[in-house]
Amino acid sequence: MSENNGYEPRIVGFLCNWCSYAGADGAGTARIKYPSNMRVVRVMCSGRVSPELVLRTFRQGADGVIVLGCHIGDCHYAEGNHRTAKRIPMLRNLLGYAGIHPDRLRLDWASAAEGPKLAEIVTDFTERIKELGKLETK
Amino acid sequence: MDEQTLLAGLRTAVADALAHANGVLALRADHGGAVPHLFKSGDDLSDLAIAPRYPMAMIVDTLGDAWPEARLGVVARGCDERALIELAKRHQVNLDNVTVIGLACSAEQAIECRCAKPYPDALVVGQAVEGIAQDPRIAELEAMSYGQRFAFWSAQYEKCLKCYGCRNICPVCYCPTCALESDLWVETGVLAPPFPSYHMIKAMHMVGRCIACRECEDACPADIPLTTIYAALHRDTAEAFGYVAGHSIDEKPPLLLSLSGTMED
Repeated sequence: MSENNGYEPRIVGFLCNWCSYAGADGAGTARIKYPSNMRVVRVMCSGRVSPELVLRTFRQGADGVIVLGCHIGDCHYAEGNHRTAKRIPMLRNLLGYAGIHPDRLRLDWASAAEGPKLAEIVTDFTERIKELGKLETK
Repeated sequence: MDEQTLLAGLRTAVADALAHANGVLALRADHGGAVPHLFKSGDDLSDLAIAPRYPMAMIVDTLGDAWPEARLGVVARGCDERALIELAKRHQVNLDNVTVIGLACSAEQAIECRCAKPYPDALVVGQAVEGIAQDPRIAELEAMSYGQRFAFWSAQYEKCLKCYGCRNICPVCYCPTCALESDLWVETGVLAPPFPSYHMIKAMHMVGRCIACRECEDACPADIPLTTIYAALHRDTAEAFGYVAGHSIDEKPPLLLSLSGTMED
């Protein structure tokens, strides 16, 4: 599945309001370039991203889903992202067992000050999803 | 141990329990099959039955809701006891009011269910036999490539009639509002339910909850091997969090806890 001649994947990013969304904003303000494949959905907390939401996003045509939240210890809601840190790896396992490559779902942390890091994560993820190609769920 | 010996032992145990309890939940022979029945003091115990397996914990839950003060006995196999423990820690049943009359499964039954623990801790009747260390289907699944797995499960889930039998029989499914009935997560009016939705959501909800009773798989009219993925996630949960659903009432469901293992409720 590596020969994807210029396929531009559809990626949905769930970014937490307090850290990662602000980080993305910072990356934009600083004019840091990263691929435009990611469509951003701002959520109040990465803990709000339920498994149902991720699965629906895949079913609606996303080739990759990335969840970005505050670093552990920095959560605006103290421990919201703790649940994310446990839930997303388990959901990755589940996707793998069902035959959807777990790399299509990624969890990472980016603070409001980490625009460059966020750009790097998104670039890296986009490259990985390009390698994996289109997700056929029908 | 043959069935008559087990039944004789069970009759004694039920009669003993009835001396202290308001009722004992057990199976009763009925029209060639068996149905759950609430035996009361003085009842005829001659038609007490032990087979087939039945998810007793969910009935304890229902009875407890209707009569919160009632003291109940329940004939429970290993899986029933695990379900009771899981329900109790989730505040669905009150084990203070429940006496478990443990019934061991036979070696054949353990193999059929691929059961890791075919006996309850509160064993009263029968002889405990060794369980199956790990569901052999996990290795079969992991031997497949992602592409093969996807093709396999697509074909399996394609058979789904969306009868909700797997959910309805599940002793640890109790939410009054079910994600599987939400049009947002599982589109209505579509058969089979689109993949990945229904079965993936159900599998995710089974993490840290599934007590591996295989009732869903028995109930499935389409013969979908539902518990293969649940078993794999069960193993992952044990490895990642040291958590085994139904093991102890003091172990809280890991996905609900913070990383340090605390819970605000």
